[in-house]
Amino acid sequence: MFKLDRKSILIGTSAFAASVVLLSGCGDSTSTGVASNTSKSCEIGVYKIIDKHAIDGGVIYARQNGVYTDYRYNQQSMKGLNYGRPATANEIKAWNVDALPDGTGLPKGQGSVEEGDELFEAQCASCHGDFGGGGKGYPQLTGGNQDKDENGIVKVLKNQRLLPGMAAPKRTVGTYWPKATTLFTYIRDAMPYAHPKSLTDDQVYAITAYILSQNEIKIDGVEMDDEYVLNAKKLTQVVLPNNNGFYPDIDGAKGPANVKAFFADRAKNIGMGTRCMHDCKDISKDGHGKMVAPSVFKIKYEMSDVVPPYAYARDLPPEVDTGLVSKGEKMYNTSCKLCHGTDTMGAPMVGDKEAWASVMQKGLHEVVHNAIAGTGGMPPKGGNADLSDADIKTIVEFMANSSK
Amino acid sequence: MDKTLKTKESTSVSRRDFFKKTASISAVAAAGLLAPATLNADDPAIMHHTKWGTTLGDGCNYHPYGIPSKYEHNIVRRTSALMSSAGDMHAAISMTPLYAQKGIITPNGLHFTRTHNGVAHVDPNEWRLMIHGLVEKPIVLTLEQLKRYPSESVIHFVECPSNGAAEWKGPQFNSVQFVRGMMSCAQWTGVRLKTILDDLGLKPEAKWMLAEGGDGSEMSRTLPIEKVLDDVIIAYGQNGEALRDEQGYPVRLLAPGWEANLSVKWLKRLEFGDKPWYAKEETSKYTALTASGRAIQHFYALETNSIITSPCPEIPWTYLKKGEMIEIQGLAWSGYGTVRGVDISFDGGKNWVEASLKGLILPKCWTRFSYMYKYEGKPLLLQSRSYDDSGDVQPTVNQEKTVVGVEGVYHRNAIHTWEVTAKGEVNNVQVRS
Repeated sequence: MFKLDRKSILIGTSAFAASVVLLSGCGDSTSTGVASNTSKSCEIGVYKIIDKHAIDGGVIYARQNGVYTDYRYNQQSMKGLNYGRPATANEIKAWNVDALPDGTGLPKGQGSVEEGDELFEAQCASCHGDFGGGGKGYPQLTGGNQDKDENGIVKVLKNQRLLPGMAAPKRTVGTYWPKATTLFTYIRDAMPYAHPKSLTDDQVYAITAYILSQNEIKIDGVEMDDEYVLNAKKLTQVVLPNNNGFYPDIDGAKGPANVKAFFADRAKNIGMGTRCMHDCKDISKDGHGKMVAPSVFKIKYEMSDVVPPYAYARDLPPEVDTGLVSKGEKMYNTSCKLCHGTDTMGAPMVGDKEAWASVMQKGLHEVVHNAIAGTGGMPPKGGNADLSDADIKTIVEFMANSSK
Repeated sequence: MDKTLKTKESTSVSRRDFFKKTASISAVAAAGLLAPATLNADDPAIMHHTKWGTTLGDGCNYHPYGIPSKYEHNIVRRTSALMSSAGDMHAAISMTPLYAQKGIITPNGLHFTRTHNGVAHVDPNEWRLMIHGLVEKPIVLTLEQLKRYPSESVIHFVECPSNGAAEWKGPQFNSVQFVRGMMSCAQWTGVRLKTILDDLGLKPEAKWMLAEGGDGSEMSRTLPIEKVLDDVIIAYGQNGEALRDEQGYPVRLLAPGWEANLSVKWLKRLEFGDKPWYAKEETSKYTALTASGRAIQHFYALETNSIITSPCPEIPWTYLKKGEMIEIQGLAWSGYGTVRGVDISFDGGKNWVEASLKGLILPKCWTRFSYMYKYEGKPLLLQSRSYDDSGDVQPTVNQEKTVVGVEGVYHRNAIHTWEVTAKGEVNNVQVRS
């Protein structure tokens, strides 16, 4: 009886052990939330699943009787807390500036391609390249062939670099982006890179117009020449070439259901492995469409320009002398501070002006000599024989100077 | 390395020599060298008084906020020009040193970072969270008000969907830190978003939520309501302390198991609506272009994945002798659910054995695996393959490539291969066709 009690206490003291032993996969089997059952079906890491096809393709675990997988939670009501305060209409207006593809939320204002050209050259081209053509290490915004195949897919997006010399897919506003409203909010909220939110809405319309024109986008069949003026209404009319290049379809009432169905068939849609254990075959098509067995590919050009450079030694870091701590202070800290850092040890405390004025009346030479030889309750060199006589002088000078 | 040691063994190793040598070689080799069994001479580490045993240590007030041992100064996040824009480190990524990772909790100073406009420094006194749109009562919360809500603490990995993206077309980095270091795992503390929504009243027509950050990039993403009501947390705590600036101080969203990009940092605003927003980071970026020429959008959960962290290029087996036993260990994880097991292959994926899981096994969390191996000094192609309770199994490079191609950038979870040479060196290779 007592032994049993003791055992249960031991289990109870370790929250993790307790949860693994008592709750895993079994937490739903009793009304108290703590199962007494420790049968084999009650495996570690097996948790009660209530939805095998969550929207992301994963599972949703039960939250029942205060148990969620290996976690416990508070089952009491958490309603009516009423924290925070109502947002004012002005506050919502100030922050709710996002814009949807249907134009909801786009601000008033307008800007021409020509104005955008000037702004782009001054504020954007240094990163995104002349005309947004890239080449500076930051995203390329324009260029790329927008021609589509018979299925309406932008051809350059099908490029795969499976073999040397194959071209990369081009991902610019003209070839890849689905929505033009995103271009507007991107520029307004996050650009220019070093000074985000510094452009007026008119300027943002102008730069948006310029980037669209450089991508040879037509709005309602109209080419965007230098004089073309973009505003909210026209921006909403833009249909970018790759508008239909994304899946699953997230729009409309069925959007979430489409996403769920897509991820439910992960093997087909995003690829999945198989748990083969012996003599497994793993062949696939190479860049020419030929079936080939796997082989080992080694690093061709190692990326080794890492920051900071690779280093694995467990040694002392190189000492960086910031000049903030003098040699005297360092030695004082390690060898003298224990007694001289306080006024309770009988030694003159560093910082005590009176005490040090009295000590220094003897003259520096005498004080250093006493410190080397020992004086009163102080052992020679404060007990640290590794210190040289010169070190002691440096330390005394530091202590005296710090107590003036 | 071993050769140098043997020539030294016959003569006496001076203390100074010993430490000099220890310091100049890799930490791992040093660990082997320090093992007394490899030295015939008496070990000076034992035969001499140590400096730390004969001097006074630091006072308790020396570091009011503690720091790692000075000797661990090389265990740091690392980055590379490839992880940035033209070498600019503001829209860039730094990687967790997975070879040095102990257990499943990443120290806050080593948590990987991804920023789109640098690390913002938000004044918590001026921080506000606005929750509005299709809710009965739109509100504004201060940090103190947010913290009044009942808190939850959960352990989840956070992984950039670009983790491993440098390897779509072949191996490039000879380092586990760069092969898989765009992820970390921490105990996050905050408020379950559903707790707040129960209080505010979510309107039934709400289908999507926009989460928006307050940094210079104003990072924003659209999340479906189903996830929001399941396990999304508004987090302000990271491993027992406030979030680090790099992780979105004072408050970030945490969407467990999903692309870290959805766990918006420096959180500022949550808006509920009936349409998706097509925010900037869910169109031009964070969409996975497949070989069909079309791209997967709203790609949420990170697939089951695993990596052997020991051995790895940073921790090779060069110090092992034939017949010695050694633990192979690593990390497995899945954004779909809970890791159920990990298999190990020594021959590049033809044959597999089951590894043991060890430690805590939690959903959407790093899970440790372990396999005791008798070292034979033969070349190996070492792989790990995880599977989870949603039915997901980690694919081979070919299986993944066959469905999505090699240009998707994101969500690469193909089985990884370390080549172990006859000398015990470990190199990053890829088994594919």
